[in-house]
Amino acid sequence: MSFQNMGKSAMRVGKNYVKGYTDVQVKVREATSNDPWGPSGTQMNELAQLSYNQNDFIEMMEIMDKRLNDKGKNWRHVFKTLTVLDYLLHAGSENVVIYFRDNIYVVKTLREFQYVDEAGKDQGGNVRQKAKDITNLLMDEARLRDERRGRSNMRDRMQGSNM
Amino acid sequence: LPTRPVDREKAERELNDNIKKATNADETAPKQKHVRKCMVYTWDYHSSQSVWTGLRVLPILNDEVQTFKALILVHKVLQEGHPIVLREAQAQMGWFETCARTVGGDSMKGYAPLIRAYVQFILAKLRFHRHHKEFNGLFEYEEYISLKNIDNPDEGYETIMDLMNLQDGIEQFQKLVFAHFRGSGHNECRISALVPLVKESYGIYKFLTSMLRAMHRRTDAMDALEPLRGRYNAQHHSLRRFYYECANLKFLTSLINVPKLNHDAPNLFDSRDEPSLP
Repeated sequence: MSFQNMGKSAMRVGKNYVKGYTDVQVKVREATSNDPWGPSGTQMNELAQLSYNQNDFIEMMEIMDKRLNDKGKNWRHVFKTLTVLDYLLHAGSENVVIYFRDNIYVVKTLREFQYVDEAGKDQGGNVRQKAKDITNLLMDEARLRDERRGRSNMRDRMQGSNM
Repeated sequence: LPTRPVDREKAERELNDNIKKATNADETAPKQKHVRKCMVYTWDYHSSQSVWTGLRVLPILNDEVQTFKALILVHKVLQEGHPIVLREAQAQMGWFETCARTVGGDSMKGYAPLIRAYVQFILAKLRFHRHHKEFNGLFEYEEYISLKNIDNPDEGYETIMDLMNLQDGIEQFQKLVFAHFRGSGHNECRISALVPLVKESYGIYKFLTSMLRAMHRRTDAMDALEPLRGRYNAQHHSLRRFYYECANLKFLTSLINVPKLNHDAPNLFDSRDEPSLP
């Protein structure tokens, strides 16, 4: 971990404390931070499990909503939140699906997300593509149901083989 | 009303700020982040009244670039805002006409003819939506609408004609935009008006294709559909040229994917529902 990133993560710890985020919210913030690596499978899986608890679910949505509406400079917040959302739509609770069907416009309107960084690199393209993919998935009820079923079958099989 | 965690007072305050920033006097594209906030506002509160009020109280009409950017903003919010925006916009005819009237004949930066043509196009779009409430602002494909309309062939025929008229309106306006590019400068502000036009024309195109195919499946009177087929093919070729020209504008392709149409128009006797496209 570079020194700069250490500074950032120390800041995040401070902010978590000052703003009174709950443990679940801290987990979402960690998974969708500005660090230049993606959310880990372990992190996403944990969030997916937590989404089955109604209270945890509400707390998660609060942070995810903030992150999705973040400014261009924080494009990583937006991109990683879309990554987590994609995972939750497949493996999280049905509530995630219902919530984002209701609020699909939050994702849909990210299909023209723009951010060009100081080096002149277009960082918006990743967000635009992911927003498009998730919008299509949310609008295709049959496909989403299929993919969710496939995912839970796989989980059952894997858990079965552990026994 | 919204299930998202929101704060209405803050949203109203920020909305005015977003309108102001989206329509500032810089000769650039309206910033998408500000346009997006306006769209999201209309979905959160199922209302666009504050957007119209915001546009009226700001001194936008004193400046041709600001007026043009305001029209781009409005067009995008009509397309991707809550459906209520299309209804509430019907009461704003006066504002649109003022936009077209206020700008002088010999504007310095050459936006006057573009503004007048844009107003004309938006008014045509609003008339369409007044008569066809089943369509959303981007004509996004919904099978049930096309099926509903072919149960009554007369109504279906009329809907197709109205859609084609609107498509011709886009064609005229986009040509005017291209004709007003300036050799010097980057034309970013003008190009950004093409973004909603590409999206809307493609939505109409996909819809026409699916609806015409459904009509061909259901009817015995193939001759009666001949004029529609002719016009559909002509529009296919115009659109293909339009998208080709757009694909050469680097600034535009960094904002959206421009569709690429085949040389030949899709076969309307085909039973597939959507044109075969990437």
